[in-house]
Amino acid sequence: MDTLWQLFPQTDFILLAFILGLPLLGAFTNGVFGKRLGKQAVSVAGLAAVGIPFLMSVVAFVMLHAKQEGEEPARFIWTAWRWLTLSKLSVINGVPGEVPVALDVAFSIDALSGTMALIVTGVGFLIHLYSTKYMEEDPGFYRFFAYLNLFIFSMLVLILGNSLPVMFVGWEGVGLCSYLLIGFWFSEEKNAAAGKKAFIANRIGDFGLLVAMGLLLYYTGALDWAGMDANRASLLGEQKIWPLVGDKIWFSPYLPDGIATWLNRERSVSPATLVGLSLFLGCAGKSAQLPLYVWLPDAMAGPTPVSALIHAATMVTAGVYLVCRMAGIFVLSPTAMMVVAVVGALTAFFAATIAFAQNDIKKVLAYSTVSQLGYMFMAVGVGAFSAGFFHVMTHAFFKACLFLGSGSVIYAMHSRIHDSEASQDMRNMGGLRRFMPITFATFAVSWAAIVGFPFTSGFFSKDEILFKTFTSYIALPGAAEGAPYWPREVSLFVFCIAVLTAAMTAFYMTRLVVGTFLGEFRGWTIVKNFQAADGHHNHGDHSAHDHGDAGHAAHATHSAHEHAHANEPLEGPEPHESPWQMTLPLVVLAALALVSGAFNAHVLHSHLLDTWLDPVFASTKGYVQSIEGAEELQLPLLAPGLLAFTFGVGIAYWVYVMQKGAPAARFVAQFPRLHQWAVEKWRVDELYEETVLGAVDTLAEIAVWVDKYVVDGIVARLTAGAVAFSGYVLRQFQTGRVQTYSAVMVIGLGAVGWHFVVPHTEVLTKVDASGGRELQAPSGFGYSYQWDKDGDGKWDSVERTVKVEASAASAIVRLQVTNVFGWARLRKVRPEPTKSDSPTLTLRATPSAMGAKPGISLDGGAR
Amino acid sequence: MTPVMTPLGSALEHYVLLATVLFALGGAGFLLRRNILVQLMSIELMLNATNLLLVAYNRSHSSSLHGQMFAFFIIAVAAAEVAVGLAIVLSFYRLKSTISSDAADSLRH
Repeated sequence: MDTLWQLFPQTDFILLAFILGLPLLGAFTNGVFGKRLGKQAVSVAGLAAVGIPFLMSVVAFVMLHAKQEGEEPARFIWTAWRWLTLSKLSVINGVPGEVPVALDVAFSIDALSGTMALIVTGVGFLIHLYSTKYMEEDPGFYRFFAYLNLFIFSMLVLILGNSLPVMFVGWEGVGLCSYLLIGFWFSEEKNAAAGKKAFIANRIGDFGLLVAMGLLLYYTGALDWAGMDANRASLLGEQKIWPLVGDKIWFSPYLPDGIATWLNRERSVSPATLVGLSLFLGCAGKSAQLPLYVWLPDAMAGPTPVSALIHAATMVTAGVYLVCRMAGIFVLSPTAMMVVAVVGALTAFFAATIAFAQNDIKKVLAYSTVSQLGYMFMAVGVGAFSAGFFHVMTHAFFKACLFLGSGSVIYAMHSRIHDSEASQDMRNMGGLRRFMPITFATFAVSWAAIVGFPFTSGFFSKDEILFKTFTSYIALPGAAEGAPYWPREVSLFVFCIAVLTAAMTAFYMTRLVVGTFLGEFRGWTIVKNFQAADGHHNHGDHSAHDHGDAGHAAHATHSAHEHAHANEPLEGPEPHESPWQMTLPLVVLAALALVSGAFNAHVLHSHLLDTWLDPVFASTKGYVQSIEGAEELQLPLLAPGLLAFTFGVGIAYWVYVMQKGAPAARFVAQFPRLHQWAVEKWRVDELYEETVLGAVDTLAEIAVWVDKYVVDGIVARLTAGAVAFSGYVLRQFQTGRVQTYSAVMVIGLGAVGWHFVVPHTEVLTKVDASGGRELQAPSGFGYSYQWDKDGDGKWDSVERTVKVEASAASAIVRLQVTNVFGWARLRKVRPEPTKSDSPTLTLRATPSAMGAKPGISLDGGAR
Repeated sequence: MTPVMTPLGSALEHYVLLATVLFALGGAGFLLRRNILVQLMSIELMLNATNLLLVAYNRSHSSSLHGQMFAFFIIAVAAAEVAVGLAIVLSFYRLKSTISSDAADSLRH
């Protein structure tokens, strides 16, 4: 241990560099050399690039544990390099100025990020292992592992970044990897479209995150965690947000008085609310909350391990992680927290209703993920940060297990049904319990966890969330009258939605398990010792298997083939259990899903995770309040969760097992429209199509019109016309005849000659210290001067320069210049100072400079 | 300004005047005539006007012979120029079958 401390001191915790560096190295190796290395080497490199960081994270975790005693938070920091220096406008001692804000590429690990890093690398490693088999036959094997490693790297940057901008780099990195992996089979249009959809929906959220960063920099003058927390008091107070400019809306005088007054009324919120809402927009994008959730179900177009790792266990929980990370900022605004909780509740409920009607096994799990993410936001929204994070952890285990289990099922189904949609359709499954015992067992355990079967991990985490939504709320300590407060109705609303969603989750998850594993197998007629009739059917054989989604490469041929035989009953061998590389992760994850609840089982008086995370959330103390008598409600509030579980599972069992789905069919027959709408996901995508996409399209059309007719038609043509016209004029001189050119030369020389022949009389006047004026006439060929300084008609001086006293400064001075040809010119001037720095002054000086040179002086006669 | 007398008894101004007239004639001839040979001759006229001016001024500043020397230089250069110029005229005639300077407008195209 001492050696460890010497190697990795707290303030220069270089172990983080290795944790971050290895996945990046893995991504580089697999991406650049993967094709030549072969599958074995790529597997080893890919696994090592996640497995070793996992072990290192364990070491870091142990070190953290040693340092973190009681309430004292521990944070190990490693600063890589100075990134950039921003400047913040600020008023210092009444003088506006800029304060430099240094920004380092720094990483840190504390209780929260240490735990998250363990989950990411641990679950990540298991899913990497799973992928070595699942993706075995795919031609893009090495590419897949390069992306996965890059994802782990980006996710670790996101988690370990010590400031918001560094975290943002990881945030965008995981977004990129998500895009690349959703569109992994990009040759199919819909996969590529799903990738783009995910990327674009996330851009909206990222906009919010950028705005939040700007606001935080403006108000707190820092972007690293410690700095923001230290200066967070400046986020309280009032910030006028309306009217945006000035004190009234420009068009308000044209409106009726009542509306105008209402419109012009000044509205203020606290900066904390602005920051909280902007941050939450970012979270809603990444964590698929209303209204930005639409990309996540489509993201299931990616390979199943990707859905498990990125779109269930890790990346989509980044939003929850961010809220936990910024807990100290969020609690300053009860309004923002209320929005978080209510949006979470609505998302949880809304996604659950859609999950009812889906038949695609991955789609059900996707909507379940959206719903569970809503659950997590409910928890963090009411200030139960450790409960929310606890659910992040348990959800990572059971949802990854469910997704990998579905992958295992799809892998088996794919041996005979090569169409990717049909092979994921529950209606083609059923009865797989007998053929895939390990998959079934692990799936069942995870099912128990997600539906809240007593004493599984999901039971404890969900129960904790239910308890907290009922009892916990946010209030500013010592807040004045009229300050934002937390109405009790909001708590009750969120709580009711949570209970209802729990019941719905139990129902649709039971439906999923029954449809997949129980009953009779509906995929094909099982024939003993099945032999394929032709080459296309020869996929029951393990050696020549194009496994799982990996069959996409040959998909086109296969689906064409299946369509040809659409009406014939399909025959095939028994569906097979998956190999150990796939079942081992399932078993480990199922075990974790079963027992990880013990970390924070409040009912059993286990508070391990709470105690562990407590120092991280120390800054929220005093802001998160509980209703009176909350302690006594701990046990009574188990009842709603248990009831929800019993009802949900019970009804589903009655409908789908005892009645063989007849009540569901009756329901569908009775309310066909309702069912259709749920199947079509309440047509939210279509709504977006009509509104947002329509608006963008219209905007694009307007832009095209403007470009075509205004920019091209007016601006471009005008410029071209001006150029063409001046070209036309100049072209008239360009005859090509030497005589024209020499004639122009003669004219030019004539003009220069004229300049020298005519005497010049411009006077340069200077004011000296006593107020007297010094007048200087220009010089030229054989010039002689005559001055009349007082305007009395008599010549006073023949010098080039004369002086006028201050008392006579207002008199008119006359100057007569005679040149070498005897040509005289007279000028009357008032001795006012000549403006200096004017360009004419330099021009005037030129003849004098030339005249001063004796070599080219032509005034020989006068000399 | 007192007129400077020359051995011929005429003032320097007369020479300057004559040179100016010759130069103007040469310039006008060059600009207005279209026959390249006449233009070459006009150039000679202008050169000789310059020569006349140089020699005349040299007479009134007889301490040095710079003006005379320049006149000889100009005569030599003019001879070379005529040799090149006539060669160009010949080539031009072969090319265009004319010696009108209007035909020499290739620069435009």
